Amino acid sequence: MESVQTKKMMKTLLALIPVESPLYSFHPVSRLLLFVITGFIPLFINMPELNFMFAVVVLLLFIYSKVALSSLKMYLPVILCAGIFTFLTFIFFPGKDPDYKVIGHVFGLALYDQPIMNAFIAYSKILALLLSSIFYFSTNRERDILAALRTLKMPFVASYVLGLSLRSAGMFLEDLHTVREAEQARGLDYAAMKFTDKVKLYSMYIIPLISLALRRSDEISNALFVKGYSLKSSGKRADYILTKYRFSASDVATCVVLILLLVLIVYFKYRYQWFGSDHSLFQYVIK
Amino acid sequence: MNMKMNANVWSLNEGELRTPQMNHVIMMALFIGVGVVVGTFGSLAVPLGFVSAFWPGQAIQSVGCIWFGMWGGIASIVFPLISNAIAGSASIAVSLAYAPGNFLQGILAGWAFRFFKCDPRLKSGKDWAVYTVFGGILCNAIGAAWGVMVLRMFGLISPSSTLTVFLGWSIGNTVPSFILGAILLKFVSPLIVKSKSFCKKYWA
Repeated sequence: MESVQTKKMMKTLLALIPVESPLYSFHPVSRLLLFVITGFIPLFINMPELNFMFAVVVLLLFIYSKVALSSLKMYLPVILCAGIFTFLTFIFFPGKDPDYKVIGHVFGLALYDQPIMNAFIAYSKILALLLSSIFYFSTNRERDILAALRTLKMPFVASYVLGLSLRSAGMFLEDLHTVREAEQARGLDYAAMKFTDKVKLYSMYIIPLISLALRRSDEISNALFVKGYSLKSSGKRADYILTKYRFSASDVATCVVLILLLVLIVYFKYRYQWFGSDHSLFQYVIK
Repeated sequence: MNMKMNANVWSLNEGELRTPQMNHVIMMALFIGVGVVVGTFGSLAVPLGFVSAFWPGQAIQSVGCIWFGMWGGIASIVFPLISNAIAGSASIAVSLAYAPGNFLQGILAGWAFRFFKCDPRLKSGKDWAVYTVFGGILCNAIGAAWGVMVLRMFGLISPSSTLTVFLGWSIGNTVPSFILGAILLKFVSPLIVKSKSFCKKYWA
């Protein structure tokens, strides 16, 4: 039963996702565009409620794509700490403005309306951007990213470097795992170690890992040389990965809608001053 | 004797011709991977949103530029884009705005080691001094100044917290990156300077 389930799941850069995820009906270019556009939209919006809604939409996309929301657990500290830090900076360093109004006190510190509003704006943007970023890497594999970039005619060397970089991060972690297992096999007890010793040990891991990377670079460059690849002329070659994806009408529609959405948001923001904090519900609540 | 050894690391041997090779590109790609892991770990270990207060990835930038010149500089730009996205510590727009700061943060040490003819193996007091000033303090100050400027531009920190965030960022990054960078230079440089990937000039 377990093996059947494993076959149906696919490992992305950050999570496990079912092979039949509806998201995979979209071409990698559409998914990449979604990542780029959603990485910009919250920056133009100064209404926290809209950015929080945006974050909810991204969470719904997680559910639609059948990504287990439990994979977001590791980001909870990031989400919480970022919020605490953002609010603390605006509470402790509100700045001076005669128009500020005191709306309360915390630990003897006055809370002013505008800095608290600004904290909400900043945090809502951070949350929305963070979730959209995690969404992309939770739903895409290294080969999806490569397929998107090669479809967009990125030069072979650049896409190869990017692919190898992402793969290298995985190899680096595998090497680290091997080193740690070798230490444990020799009787190293992590649990009994002091914190300072653990810090020292972790710093020292980098030495064998970089040495392995150095050896690997020689092996890979030799292999490429033998296959006839060079920096200057890689020549035109058949791209197997691209044959696996088809840019359909729904992709065209998705890309148009996404680009239009960003253009409209930017247009209405700068032409009619929409999405400003003055129109926010939070402004009324705080006041 | 020491000066002679220092100069030898960077000076070309008679008849030695150095041009960018495939192994430089491959090493850069692998180094980006190393940076992604170290950078992501740093961002997740002390998560403060878009503000960086403990980021050992900076050591990878400085050391990469000392060893691999401009290839390290490119890696300094690329790996934070990926690690920030994976760790969720900055959006693509903010990461792109960080890029010039990341480049300066890395290349400063690479330039200083070549300009002052220092040995990447940190053999003399001068090597340590240049690494401390250019690879530890100055580069992090520049990176933090740039980072804080970007965050101000996007309205993600309060204007009056600028100085505090800058100090927290630069000091917080200097400590872990100085320690990790010193370990790398001291123990890995002897291997790197003998390898084909080592760049005596900026590109080869």
